[in-house]
Amino acid sequence: MDTLKFGDLVGVDKYGNKYYQNNYYFYGKNRWVEYNDKVFFDYDASQVPAEWHNWLHYMTDDPPTTNPRVQYKWMIDHTENFSGTNRQYVPYSTVKQKITQWQPKDGQKIKYNVK
Amino acid sequence: MMANRLLFAPFVLRRSFSLSSAALNKKNDSQLVPTKGVADLKDPRTVLEADEMKRKELLRNSVIEVNEPMNISPIIGIPDEHIETRRVRIFKPSKNTMQSGTNNINLWVIQFECRERWENPLMGWTSSGDSLSNIDGWLRFKTKEDAMHFCEKNGWQYSVEEPEVTKRPIKKSYADNFSWNKRTRVGSK
Amino acid sequence: MLRFVAASCKRTANNPSCVVWLKECRRHARTSGSKQQQTSAAQETKPKLLEVFIDEKKVLVEPGTTILEAAAMAGVEIPRFCYHERLSVAGNCRMCLVEVEKSIKPVASCAMPIMMNGMKVKTNSPMTKQAREGVMEFLLMNHPLDCPICDQGGECDLQDQSMAFGSDRSRLQVELDPKRAVEDKNIGPLVKTIMTRCIHCTRCVRFMNEIAGCEDLGTTGRGSDMQIGTYLENTALLSELSGNIVDLCPVGALTSKPYAFTARPWELRRVDSVDVLDAVGSNISVCTRSGDLMRILPRENDAVNEEWLADKSRHAPVDGLKAQRLTVPLLRPSKSSQLQMCDWEDALLAVGRALNGIQPSRMEAIVGPFVDAETMVVLKDLFNTIGSENVYLHVDSDLDKSCFPSSKDLDFQKNYLFNTSIAGLEDGVDLLLLIGTNIRFEAPLVNARIRKAWRNNLINDIAVIGENGLDLLYDYEYLGDSTKVLADIVAGKHKIVDRLKKAQKAVVILGQQILKKDSDSNAYEMVRALCDKYGAEFNLLHANASTVAAFDLGLKPSSERKTDNSDEQSLLWLIGVDDENLTIPNNSFVIYQGHTGDICANTADVILPGSAFTEKQGTMISMEGRVQQTLAAITPPNMAREDWKIVRACSELANYPLPYDTLLEVRERMQQLAPHLTRHSNRKLEKPSLRPPPISSVSAQSPVSLLPRMKSLVDYWQTDAISRCSPTMSKCVLSTKKEFDKRGIKY
Repeated sequence: MDTLKFGDLVGVDKYGNKYYQNNYYFYGKNRWVEYNDKVFFDYDASQVPAEWHNWLHYMTDDPPTTNPRVQYKWMIDHTENFSGTNRQYVPYSTVKQKITQWQPKDGQKIKYNVK
Repeated sequence: MMANRLLFAPFVLRRSFSLSSAALNKKNDSQLVPTKGVADLKDPRTVLEADEMKRKELLRNSVIEVNEPMNISPIIGIPDEHIETRRVRIFKPSKNTMQSGTNNINLWVIQFECRERWENPLMGWTSSGDSLSNIDGWLRFKTKEDAMHFCEKNGWQYSVEEPEVTKRPIKKSYADNFSWNKRTRVGSK
Repeated sequence: MLRFVAASCKRTANNPSCVVWLKECRRHARTSGSKQQQTSAAQETKPKLLEVFIDEKKVLVEPGTTILEAAAMAGVEIPRFCYHERLSVAGNCRMCLVEVEKSIKPVASCAMPIMMNGMKVKTNSPMTKQAREGVMEFLLMNHPLDCPICDQGGECDLQDQSMAFGSDRSRLQVELDPKRAVEDKNIGPLVKTIMTRCIHCTRCVRFMNEIAGCEDLGTTGRGSDMQIGTYLENTALLSELSGNIVDLCPVGALTSKPYAFTARPWELRRVDSVDVLDAVGSNISVCTRSGDLMRILPRENDAVNEEWLADKSRHAPVDGLKAQRLTVPLLRPSKSSQLQMCDWEDALLAVGRALNGIQPSRMEAIVGPFVDAETMVVLKDLFNTIGSENVYLHVDSDLDKSCFPSSKDLDFQKNYLFNTSIAGLEDGVDLLLLIGTNIRFEAPLVNARIRKAWRNNLINDIAVIGENGLDLLYDYEYLGDSTKVLADIVAGKHKIVDRLKKAQKAVVILGQQILKKDSDSNAYEMVRALCDKYGAEFNLLHANASTVAAFDLGLKPSSERKTDNSDEQSLLWLIGVDDENLTIPNNSFVIYQGHTGDICANTADVILPGSAFTEKQGTMISMEGRVQQTLAAITPPNMAREDWKIVRACSELANYPLPYDTLLEVRERMQQLAPHLTRHSNRKLEKPSLRPPPISSVSAQSPVSLLPRMKSLVDYWQTDAISRCSPTMSKCVLSTKKEFDKRGIKY
C-alpha cells in the first residue's frame, strides 16, 4: 500500500479490499492490503474485516478464501471505526438534564437531539 | 572554557559558574588562577580587555529602570486568549443579605467575565476551560488602584465599579415602638 | 494560580500594592474608614454632635444615635441577632451587650441612644466578653446541633458568632433539662420553617408587620414556651415580599423552600446583576454553582431596593429559566409543516433571505419586556440600514394604549420616567396621587418604599384613582375610578384640588397596566395636564424592564403599528414578545428570538434561541432612569447565543453587515445614539434637565374607568414568560387561592 509492490492476489473481501502476498519480501512486509478504490484517501486500518485482519497480522496462515470463517446468524457485518465523523458513537448521558427544552402547547412535538 | 571544565574537579566547575553571577572574591580568584603546567588554561580576565571587564562590572552592579508600566503577560505563560479577551470587573463586594457580618466587604476584588462550564455526561461533574475564574473573590486588594495595577500588569481589560459613597445616618430608637403619634407603633408582637 | 499571585506579590515587594495578606487589609480598611469618618465629621463642625469613645476611638454622632450605630461608624462591629438596621429596634436577643463606663450592668447597645457627651464604650472588655458568652450559652442551649443538615450552614449568624464570641464549653445537662423542640409550621410554598432552630429574634415578625404590611406572623407564649407562628394553623403568608424573611432570619429557622438542600453557600459563585421581572431595577446577586442557577439574592442599594427583593424576582427565574427553554434554532420548512431543529447556519440563512426578499416597508420588529439596550441598538441599526423604521416596543394588547406615552412624547425623558425617583418618595412628599395602578403588585418595592415613608410620617396624604378596595398596605383616600375624576381635577372642580395647590411637593404616579376599555381613556394626556397645571411631579410606573431603554433609543410603542390587510409578503421579528392577541399581518414571515418558548413562539417560522438576563451582559434602564447592567452568571444553554450577537449575525447574511463585533464596540455605538446609556452605575442617577412644554388643554372624553390589570395577589405571581414557566410560581398561585378561599376573600 502506498508503495510499489508485486505480489499474488490472495483474495478480495466483500468491501472490495484486495489482499496480496509475496514471500520474496521480508516477513512482516509480505502480506498487504490494497483498499477499495472507492475510499480513495479515506482508508483506515479498521476497514479490514476481522477474518482478513487475522491473516494480515499472521495470526493464521490460512486466508479466509481457503478457510472461511464459520457464519452464525447473530454475527453482524463489520464496520469501520467512525470516530471523528458524524456517525461516531456517543454514549448517552446518565445525567438528568438541568434545562428542559420548549415543547409547543398545541400538541406538536419537536424532536431535539442535542448532546 | 571547555578544557577548564574537563581538567578541574567539579568543585572548580562550580566556582567557574559563580564567576558569572556573584561578585568576585579575591580568595576565590587565587584558586581560579591557572596552575603551572596547564599552559592553555587562561583566566577570563586575562583574555578580556580591561575596558570590557569594566563594562561588565558596571552592568552587573547597575539596576535597569524601565519607565513603562509593567506588563508581565508576555512572559507569564498564560495563553494569549486568556489575556487579550478577558474583561475584569473591579468592585467592592456587597454585603451578603443572609448575614449581618461586614468583614468581607471592605476590600476590592476582581471578577472575570463568565465563561462556559460544561457537564460531563457520565457523572454530571462540571468542567471549565477557565482557570482564571477561580481568582474570583479570592484575590483581594486594599485599594482599587492596587487591583487596577494588577490587571494592567497582567494585560487584562478592566472596569471599576465605585461603591456607594454616602450612607444616610441611621437614627432610630426603641421608643418608636411605643410612640403615640407615629405609625411605627407596634400593633402585634 | 495562587502561587503565581504570591510570586508576583514578592516581586513587587517595594510597591505596597497587591496585598493578599487579609488581616493587614482588614486593619487598613478599618482604620482608613474611621479616619474618613472623623475628617468628614470634623468638616461639618455642627455644635450638636456628641463625642463618644468606642474602645478609646473618638466618634462624633448626632444625639439619639444608638451605641451600636456609633460603633459601626468607628469600624467596630458589635454582634447582634435581633437588631437589623432597616427594622425597628427590638432589643430582645441581648447579643449586643457592651460595657459602658459608669454603668454597673452591661448595656444593650442596639437600644441605647447616645444622649450624653463623652460616653465611653468598651466593646472588648472582659465584662462585654463574658456577657456575650453568657448570651451565646443560653441561645445554644435550646438550639439544635444540626448544622450539617441545615441550609443556613455557612452563612449563619449563630454559627459565625458562636465561633467568634461564644464560649468553648457549655453547662447544659441534656439528661436533666432536655432541649426544646417546636413543631414546624407551614407558611406557604416559599418559606420553609424548622421552628426548633428559632432563637426568637422576631426579625421575621417585625419585617412582615412593618415592611410587608402583612400582619400574619406573630409570637405566642412566653419564656421557653414562646413560638413564632401565624396564630392559625396552615396559613400561607399573603405577601409579595415574604421571601425576605429567609434572608433576615439569622439562623436556619426560616429557609427558602425551593432552594432547600440544593447547594451550600461556599460552593456558590456570586455575580452582581439587575432584576428584570419588573421595571424597578432591583439590584441582585445571582448565585450559581457549576453553570447552574441556584438562587437569587437581593443586593444592598439604598436608592432602589434597600435590601429587599420581591418574591417573583427572587424565585421565578431560578426554576422558570430552566423550563421551556429555546436552546436550539428551529425552522419551519413550509407554512404547513412543523418546526424542526436546524443548524444556526440554516436559520440565519432563512432570516437573511427574508430580510433581502421582503419590502422594507413591510418589515416590523417588536421587542419584549426583558430585552437589553444593546440588542435594541443593533436591531434598530439593522432595520434602519435596510430602510425600515418599524422598530417597536411591545405594548400588551389587553392594555389601554392611551395610557402610554406616544412617539411624539418621547423627545423628553421627563415624559416617561419615574421622575421623583424611588428614594425621592421619602423626601417630603406632601401629596401622593396614584392613578390606575395597583402599585403593590406592579412594583412591590416602590410600594414598600411608600409604606416606609407613610409609617415614618413622611407621606401623610395618599389618594387613589382606580380600582376600589385595593389593599395597598397603607391608608389612602379613594377618589373614584373613572377619568371623570381626572377631568374634574384638571378643571379645578374636585375637592382634592385645594390640597394639590397647597402641596409643596405633590407626586402623581400613573400606572402602565390599565385594562383596555371600549374607548380610549386618554389618561396619559390628562395626567400630564394635571401635573403641569398644579406643578406636581409626573411619574410613570412602567411594567417592563426594557421600556425606558427602548424609549431612550427612540423605539415606538407597538400600539402605533400600522397593519393592513394586504397579502403581500411581510416580516415580523419578535424578540421576547409574548402576547396572545398580537396582530400578525397576513402572509407574514415570523421570526421569534428569545429564551423561553411561551405564546408567540408557536406562530414563528424561525426560532432563534437567545439568552436570559442571567446569561448575558446587557444594559437595563430602570423606570427612574438608572442605567445598570446585568452580568452573565452562566452561559446560554446549548446553542443559544447573546441576543445582540444573533441580530448582528443576521445583518451579515442580509448583506448589511453592521460595523461592530464586540460588546464594547456595540456600546460605543450606543454612546453615539444616547451617551447616558453607557454610564453604568447603580448608585448614581442622572436626572433629565430638559423640561417638556406643558400641556394646557385636553380634549374632553367620555368617562372611562381606569382599572389596573393585577387586582389581587393571585394575579401577581405569573405575569410573564419566565414566571409562567416557573413551577414555584404555580405553587404560589395555588396556595394563594386556597388561602383566599379559606379566608373568604374574593379574587
